[in-house]
Amino acid sequence: MNVRDELVGIVGPEWVFDHPEKLRAYAEDYSISSLSMPSYVAQPQNSEEVRDIVQLANLSRVPVVPCSSGIHFNGDTIPIEGGIVLDLRRMNRILNIDERNRAARIEAGVTWPQLQHELERHNLMALNPLFPHPLKSVLTSHLEREPMLIPKFEYADALLTMEVILPNGELFRTGSACVQGAPDKSVSDGVHPEGPGLGWWRLLQGAQGTMGVVTWANIKVEMKPGVNKTFLIPFEAITDTADFIYKVQRRMLGEECLLLNNFNLASILAENWPEDFEALRQTLPPWTVILVLAGGWRRPEEKIEYEEEALREIALDLHITNLPPLLPGMPELEKELPEILRWAWPAEKTFWKFRFKGSCQDLFFYTVLEKISAFTEAIKQTALKFAYPIQDIGFYIQPVERARACHYECSFYYNPENEEEVQKIRELFYEVAETLISMEAFFTRPYQGLADMVYDRAASYAIALKKVKRWLDPNNIMSPGRLCF
Amino acid sequence: MGIPREAYDAFQSIVGSEWVSDDPAICAADYKGGAATGIRDKGSVRPACSIQPKSSEEVRRIVKVCNRFSLPYVPTSTYFSATCAPNRDNTVMMDLKRMDKFDIDYKNMYAVVEPGVSFSMLQAELFKRDLFTFVPGCGSQASVLANNLHIGDAPMGWRVGLGYRRLLACEWVLPDGELLKLGSRSYLKDYFWGEGPGPDLRGLLRGNGGPNGGLGTVTKLAVKVFSFIPKQLEPQGIQPKTTFKLPEERMRWYNARFPSLEQTLDAIYELGRCEIGFIVMHVDPIFGYIARSRGKGANFFWQEWDKAKETLDRKQGWLRVLLTGFTSEKQLVYEENVLRDVVTDYGGELRPARPLDETHLQSADAIAANAIGRRFYSIIYFESVDAGLAVGRADAKIKERYTPPLADTYGLPGWIVPYDFAHVAKQELLNYGDVDDVEYLSELHNECRKNDIKIGAYPYMEDPDLFGPFCFNYHQKLRGFKAIFDPNNVSNPPKPLTRN
Amino acid sequence: MKLEDYIHDAKGCVRCSNCKFIDHIWVQSARFARQCPINMKYKFNLYSASGLLHSAVGIMENELEFTPRLLDALYKCTLCGACDIRCKRNLDLEVLSVIETLKARCVEVGKGPMLEHKVVKENIETYNNQYGFPHMNRLSWLTSDVRSVSKVDMLYFVGCTGSYIDNDIAQAASKILTHTNTEFMVSPDEWCCGYLLYSTGQLEAFKRQVEHNIRMVKELGVSSILVTCAQCYKTWKVDYPKVLGKSTDDMNFKVVHIVEYLAELIKEGKLSFKNRIDMKVTYHDPCNLARLAEPWFQWQGEHRRMGVLEPPKTFRRGDGGVYQQPRYILTSIPGIEFREMERARDNALCCGGGAGVSLSFSDFALWIASERLEEAKATGAEAIVTACPTGKRILSEAARQGKGNIKVYDINELILKAIL
Repeated sequence: MNVRDELVGIVGPEWVFDHPEKLRAYAEDYSISSLSMPSYVAQPQNSEEVRDIVQLANLSRVPVVPCSSGIHFNGDTIPIEGGIVLDLRRMNRILNIDERNRAARIEAGVTWPQLQHELERHNLMALNPLFPHPLKSVLTSHLEREPMLIPKFEYADALLTMEVILPNGELFRTGSACVQGAPDKSVSDGVHPEGPGLGWWRLLQGAQGTMGVVTWANIKVEMKPGVNKTFLIPFEAITDTADFIYKVQRRMLGEECLLLNNFNLASILAENWPEDFEALRQTLPPWTVILVLAGGWRRPEEKIEYEEEALREIALDLHITNLPPLLPGMPELEKELPEILRWAWPAEKTFWKFRFKGSCQDLFFYTVLEKISAFTEAIKQTALKFAYPIQDIGFYIQPVERARACHYECSFYYNPENEEEVQKIRELFYEVAETLISMEAFFTRPYQGLADMVYDRAASYAIALKKVKRWLDPNNIMSPGRLCF
Repeated sequence: MGIPREAYDAFQSIVGSEWVSDDPAICAADYKGGAATGIRDKGSVRPACSIQPKSSEEVRRIVKVCNRFSLPYVPTSTYFSATCAPNRDNTVMMDLKRMDKFDIDYKNMYAVVEPGVSFSMLQAELFKRDLFTFVPGCGSQASVLANNLHIGDAPMGWRVGLGYRRLLACEWVLPDGELLKLGSRSYLKDYFWGEGPGPDLRGLLRGNGGPNGGLGTVTKLAVKVFSFIPKQLEPQGIQPKTTFKLPEERMRWYNARFPSLEQTLDAIYELGRCEIGFIVMHVDPIFGYIARSRGKGANFFWQEWDKAKETLDRKQGWLRVLLTGFTSEKQLVYEENVLRDVVTDYGGELRPARPLDETHLQSADAIAANAIGRRFYSIIYFESVDAGLAVGRADAKIKERYTPPLADTYGLPGWIVPYDFAHVAKQELLNYGDVDDVEYLSELHNECRKNDIKIGAYPYMEDPDLFGPFCFNYHQKLRGFKAIFDPNNVSNPPKPLTRN
Repeated sequence: MKLEDYIHDAKGCVRCSNCKFIDHIWVQSARFARQCPINMKYKFNLYSASGLLHSAVGIMENELEFTPRLLDALYKCTLCGACDIRCKRNLDLEVLSVIETLKARCVEVGKGPMLEHKVVKENIETYNNQYGFPHMNRLSWLTSDVRSVSKVDMLYFVGCTGSYIDNDIAQAASKILTHTNTEFMVSPDEWCCGYLLYSTGQLEAFKRQVEHNIRMVKELGVSSILVTCAQCYKTWKVDYPKVLGKSTDDMNFKVVHIVEYLAELIKEGKLSFKNRIDMKVTYHDPCNLARLAEPWFQWQGEHRRMGVLEPPKTFRRGDGGVYQQPRYILTSIPGIEFREMERARDNALCCGGGAGVSLSFSDFALWIASERLEEAKATGAEAIVTACPTGKRILSEAARQGKGNIKVYDINELILKAIL
């Protein structure tokens, strides 16, 4: 069997690539993972082609690694054992916007800006993470459980139903999308994620492509607030931020709520680089909580009014005297910031994480707010051991679900052209990870070498995962070598 | 036949002789009852013994003995679902009520519970610290752990979602006796987060039909709890007329009547867009009659319900809305204004209701349905609000063929309970029969399910063998999971597959 | 009344488990959320109303026998009635009647009662009291400062415990009545009310007591029977008419507990308290005076479909019990600081004194009593007050064994302290 010929037979010759230059683009990404070349890249345009490719992979025992974004940061789409990279970017249709049920059905290749523009026409918004790259797939963000900026909902993810090609090449649909006639000709609207029989949607999340290829998904979207009031609350010490966020979230205030250190906030806000960045770094407080109070769908100003009153009560209680809606020198920010936060990073600007040195390696985990101070201190101490300037570490803490937990993210910036720097960052990354894991950081999304660290400790979980994987993927062709597989 | 003596001896040495028994009366009392008696427990047989472990370790050891001797076991806590009924000889009922410890992290809003903890116990402790837990429709006597793994639905879900959104980390004794920990518990001591690491095996714990004990026993589960108002609710009254007096400056009930069900649903969607309310639910009129009859007897109910045949406007729709100023008293004022606007805009009439709560924040009087129909049976769906109405109407039409002997519910489509601010909903067709009507209820269930397949409705799927061939053969995949995790088929067999 | 009369009720259990908990609205902590003593201790479903009802069905349908565990569960049930009224919040099931008649069936087939209960029967048959003391000493408790008269309308029915074991209660009560110029009589012909016979299923023997005592009342010409014992109260008011196939209202006498009587006197200004008692107290609601105190409505009819009863039936759901009066009395005494337990009124946890459980399973009965005392102590109370001599006995014994720092009183003792 000639795999290439078979691929061509499925997707057409113009959508199969095996030229080294083309393959190189999939062999590495913006993470510190090692390079690994695929044998082919195929770009299908529909679920049937995906299914056929996966079935081919099973017959030929050639690995398949799906990807749907135009840029990658975590090493999860690098084909560790070679094989076929399944690039789903041609599958980029927004299939349906269901205004009534506030849901959007999108193919894997739909990007954040693409979806956000379409939703804007319907006064809707998808719940986005912090400034996703303009080439980032919305579906991937949801599958990989990236935290959203708005912690107000009593759930952490917005995934509803999905269509997936299972590793054995079967087409399957999760939740209420599994019924006859779905998605368009049944009485169901594809909004119930559970089932059939088991929680398939959960097995597919955080899977880094190992449990199947999701071809489309129905996701929740929400009304886009038309009236907002932004607060940037400065803090000298991180220890004070947790109490503030706890109180704000316990009283159910606000939409977007996130904590950034001066480095990250400066990277985001700087217009002219590097002048504005350096100036902001000096003038911004060490820590800033961004809190957006948003008007409701009806009587928006009244909602903001009572929320602001409650916010001021909290500030008084915590002796926070400085509750400005503005940052000095940035008078327009109050109006702009909610809009900025609800969009992907603008394509015309250098991605904010690349602005400082060209690349950055994020390390993130879940914890509870009361521990963020200890983690921050530990990260800084470890960075010092590697002579990494602590003022150049980006910190981003995202409360989740009313501050029940938080996504903690630290970023180390480096020049990707400088091999020595890359190596140093790699060592720093893993050393920090070891320290954090010993302090009980929970790596819910263990990318790259973190997977070994995590699954060594979560042995019973790894065993159970492997059982599931063996059942769903008996030939082990879906992203082999990833996670604990 | 009985279980082998060696197995019984092993059980005694695990839990102590006082906590295991093969006394026929103990066994007989341990396999009767539960919701959908006569329907979900067909083919049930008396178990061979009942055992009460106190810890995960004891559960593991018991399960290993069951595997060694090929003894089916059924993990239960309150047994309020007839799916607990054993249907294999020599079944061991593993009653988890002794495992009743819980621990609350007030700051990070979650509670770790064992199977023997009831909602009312947990709720009482949470109320002291301005937190609350979701209380299911079946009543706060239910087990927090079991209910969250089963369905976990109630009108509170308007704000806090359905059960699948509320699980965090857990400890799980697999059918082979091995201990699996999920979420943060997979390698930490904490239970605060439920996802992963990596792919989320909570997907095997439940799933619109779910394993129902067929893939092992969860012995500790962390569940989300939520921020409440900084006021204590005041209990009042003597049974049966007990209630909470609500602090009116923070919590108020409203009733809204709309000229049609369609307008009612439109209003629900709008309220979802506005993101107001603690509870929003469309009410089947029969509930009002049942609630008014509570404590007065079934005679009173039937007298009033029979009169309603002529007087009830079947086109109308009713909403019950509980508004709550979680943030402040002014939030309540704001939400009332919005509610008033919405109801007016959608052609409805709003009326404040009594500032009392009998049944949603603690208690839930769903059992009252059995006072008027000793075999009450629900046909349930989880999908969109609109789908709920369409399916409800379709089922109500089918039900006409079974009425009588089933109670006449006047063609009403049941009630619709929206969750997640109207992103999804439960639709429940309410069917009241007597003990002799079980076959009619079963046939109604089957007819509705066949119709579901035709029209693409998404019911609560207890029959994988029926639905599987029309839903991507998921029943075969379930069979695979069952074989992997329960190779000896001892964990509440044949769950998650179809019984009988 | 026989078990088969209640087959409809026995089959009506849906196993919701509400019978194991107090009313959820009143749950204030996890510690004090449960109320079925046998289920709290033994956990198996058999040890609960649900289990006993399912067992009753099994017995009636010849699928089950009276096994050792069934006997154990049945005779450890104190008949506190908590399950009965909990169930009746939503359903129309006579849960307690099923359990009572199941005990009677157990006796009929020779499997019950417990040995100790047979001794009680012998005592009653021989000496007319449960303790086996000479009948002629029944009124030995009377003191010279008590004025009881003959030929009045009110009979003070003292009961066995007050007559023979805890004279303090009878003496206090009679002194209080004298103090309030209440004309009452006592009778040397008083026989044991028969509570222990009824509650252990020995119905034939019980009927003997009923017949005698009713005859005595008729001969005395009284229309009001005053009691200081909750067990006597419920037996006279509910079980006497029940076993005769009548309703409470059909009887020619009214049964009044002294707390009901005295509360009225306080309201009318005819009783006031001159002495302070500086004490933090809590009150234990005796089951038979509280949730089981409502009159009996005899019903004979048909169970039709869908819960319909023909003719319609009045159910005793617990809201008409004697809850308010003892509290009113206690809070009227100067110096008393009243503390309410979490499980109070209709939600009160049994003290363990019911249905002869303390005779046949004393450890278990004391365990229940200790649970109750824990709850009392949790209020910060220095004393627990009750209105039933058996209750006082078991709580006192538990306090003594636990070396507890909580006193146990009968309400009459405190009233007496406050007036003399």
